[in-house]
Amino acid sequence: MNMDDALATFFAESRELLEQMESSLLAIGQENDTAETVGAIFRAAHTIKGSAGLFGLDDVVNFTHAVESVLDQVRDGRLPVDEPMVALLLACGDHMGALIDAIENNPDQRDEALIARGAPLTERLRAYLGTTVVASTDPQVPFERIGASTCDKDLWHISVRFGADVLRNGMDPLSFIRYLSTLGTVTGIVTLADALPDADAMDPESNYLGFEIAFRSQAEKAVIEGVFDFVLDDCTLNILPPNSRTADYIELISSMPEESARLGEMLVRCGSLTAKELTAALLAQEQLHPEVPIGSILVERGSVSAPVVAAALEKQKRVKEHKAQESQSIRVDAEKLDQLINMIGELIIASAGANVIARRARSTELQECHSTLSDLVERVRDSALQLRMVKIGATFNRFQRVVHDVSREIGKDIALIVNGEDTELDKTVVEKIGDPLTHLVRNAMDHGIDSPELRVQRGKPARGTVSLNAYHDSGSIVIEVGDDGGGLHREKILAKAIERGLVDPGRVLSDAEICALIFEPGFSTADEVTNLSGRGVGMDVVKRNITALRGSVDIASQPGVGTTVTVRLPLTLAIINGFQVGVGKSVFVVPLDMVDECVEFTADQGHDYTDLRGQVLPFIRLRDLFEVPGTAGTRQNIVVVKHAGQKFGLVVDTLMGEAQTVIKPLSSMFAQVKGISGSSILGTGDVALILDVPALMQEAQFPVSHTPQLA
Amino acid sequence: MNAVAPTPPHLPTVVAQTIPALRAEPTQYLTFQLSGESFAIGILSIKEIIEYHALTEVPMMPACVRGVINLRGAVVPVLDLPARFGRPSSEVTKRTCIVIVEIEAAEERQVIGVIVDAVNEVLDIDATDIEPPPNFGANIRADFIQGMGKVKGKFVILLNVHQVLSINDLQAAGAAASKDVLSLN
Repeated sequence: MNMDDALATFFAESRELLEQMESSLLAIGQENDTAETVGAIFRAAHTIKGSAGLFGLDDVVNFTHAVESVLDQVRDGRLPVDEPMVALLLACGDHMGALIDAIENNPDQRDEALIARGAPLTERLRAYLGTTVVASTDPQVPFERIGASTCDKDLWHISVRFGADVLRNGMDPLSFIRYLSTLGTVTGIVTLADALPDADAMDPESNYLGFEIAFRSQAEKAVIEGVFDFVLDDCTLNILPPNSRTADYIELISSMPEESARLGEMLVRCGSLTAKELTAALLAQEQLHPEVPIGSILVERGSVSAPVVAAALEKQKRVKEHKAQESQSIRVDAEKLDQLINMIGELIIASAGANVIARRARSTELQECHSTLSDLVERVRDSALQLRMVKIGATFNRFQRVVHDVSREIGKDIALIVNGEDTELDKTVVEKIGDPLTHLVRNAMDHGIDSPELRVQRGKPARGTVSLNAYHDSGSIVIEVGDDGGGLHREKILAKAIERGLVDPGRVLSDAEICALIFEPGFSTADEVTNLSGRGVGMDVVKRNITALRGSVDIASQPGVGTTVTVRLPLTLAIINGFQVGVGKSVFVVPLDMVDECVEFTADQGHDYTDLRGQVLPFIRLRDLFEVPGTAGTRQNIVVVKHAGQKFGLVVDTLMGEAQTVIKPLSSMFAQVKGISGSSILGTGDVALILDVPALMQEAQFPVSHTPQLA
Repeated sequence: MNAVAPTPPHLPTVVAQTIPALRAEPTQYLTFQLSGESFAIGILSIKEIIEYHALTEVPMMPACVRGVINLRGAVVPVLDLPARFGRPSSEVTKRTCIVIVEIEAAEERQVIGVIVDAVNEVLDIDATDIEPPPNFGANIRADFIQGMGKVKGKFVILLNVHQVLSINDLQAAGAAASKDVLSLN
């Protein structure tokens, strides 16, 4: 496997894990099962550390290690999970993300500034650890690398006991030592043959040897540890950094199964300790640990080498998890999917072409054959599009964090309620909807929700609520961002609009028109500019982004009760079910999901509405609107379309039936054309234009005057 | 080709691409007829020439945008040059063609079709044979003209495709057109 590919997978996975970690952190305090949640957070951090270690991303490992240690304590119930802890861990998660981003963007260079930024976080993490770890264990337990007070030798000391099965597992202990010498110089080595049995009892395939190595190197501990990566599960490894305190050696000595004095001798022989030091050390050991049982020392040692053990375990677990995941899902390049969908688009066009010919040839057999084929093509299309569908839940969950952070920042107590997380929509839409939604949510929090005092005054609970909701409605997905705040100030908006010359003074505007004003560029009613909003660059960008996705955005507000922004988006950007209609010689496609019914055209001249079973149905004459040449035939039809709960009619000449429609983008020179959202290629090879029903309706409702800034 | 036969096969194209830019040696132009007048477009921006066939009109666009065609699965807009120059459009005849032009605008590749009455030939026009555009008299916006090429004692108008096919221009025209229609409504 290519290393770059693996690394790319690591980045993707880490990001997912960080997201999981974040959502779990935010879930703390909301759910009862904190232990489970903390466990999930720990596992996420753990896996990131493990994988980063595999790639030798030391900066990530070092930082994550601190996070993990704290999480470990939390998991064991030794540290409480409170607000500041959650905030700290969230910040740590962000920093981990930043570190990973930095490596992805610039793999060859360490971003020192970024790493430095992690230091205060590490400090704070250490502070947590300090209160528990140090108190509960021997205060003398030294950290790595302490000043050269008793031993001035610039040597690492590596103590390794290879397991009996090393050889059987295909590892040669000597090769590790040989490899070690590429990192530095082995200045002294002593072979431990104590475990060697008598010659006749000896199994030539078993390993009985251990080594004590004095090693001069500039390499870091993790690197040296890395040498023994392959046998970690199968050996006992102790690495003491240069200038370690004598106490460390004592510990090493006492932790080894061999007799202390003998081991000490060996250390002297391989040059890690001087004889004098050894005597002092052994003496000191007796004083220091008069009756400390070897077991507790072992445990202590366990804490020292915890990362080693953890890394080994981690690796095993990762492999297992990886396998489990593989059977459930496959990671596919989005580009490959796009390619597939493009090809299915071509397939649909070709199939439509075959259909036209089959009908023209009047061969029943061919037509039947084709109908089977097109049925299959349709199913292939549906499942291909389904591949790109993702649940909106992941996007929604990101807002837990936004709400958490922003509510602290602006000093309001706000909860986020999420509904309809399982609603699916196209991945490309999901990617592009994040920013506009963030704007809307921030806006709702900053402008929508009033201060707690004012809320209490108005008889509302002090805690404000922002809600996100998603559901499917006639071929589009609807996302609602609501708040239970004060609602829009009609007068304030109107006054501001008049002040900015967007509206002529004295004009009477409907509620909907006033609400729509806040989507005008540069419009803001905030009295002061805050960090979040009030600069007036928000809502028009939101509107523009959503319009670019062929969506629409509406706002409804009730003074004192709240505001709801409704975003409607198409489910997919590639292929739709279309209903073809003819006007003169032109063919237009209406998205089938919006078509309600078709009726014969009956209306008196002079007005543009008709009687639909007792209801008034306004309609648009496409022939007039699009200036199609020729006169209308004697039998026209009305296609009744509905959008956002409203119905209206489109007057056309002929109804041509439904067909799958592959959306082809139109050149940007047609960007200003209202009422056309794209084009499609018919079975005949001709180009048909796809009608933009929401835009048609909007233009029919608010003709031109609605966009005064263009005048 | 026989003279350059021993050189690697990729060389001739390299020569064709770099030399005009560097030394303004004879450049190749495609000449075509529009209402009896000769025009030319630099060959490097031309993708292909196809026979004229029925196109789909796009409503609410200015007269110079005739519509869109299906070019092997891609939807390509087609312009009417006389209308763009503010002249009456010419009739479609047997010799009418659509020249597919590729331009780069705002770091985006745009493929646009141009209707011409007839395609003439590909000519080498030496840089020394190109006169600056006249300030007036050509009845075409001066910025549309890249220069006046002298071919066999006659002038050929060399078009500046970037200006003539400027998306921004057309977009603005489209906006104005669609507004007119809607205000009538």
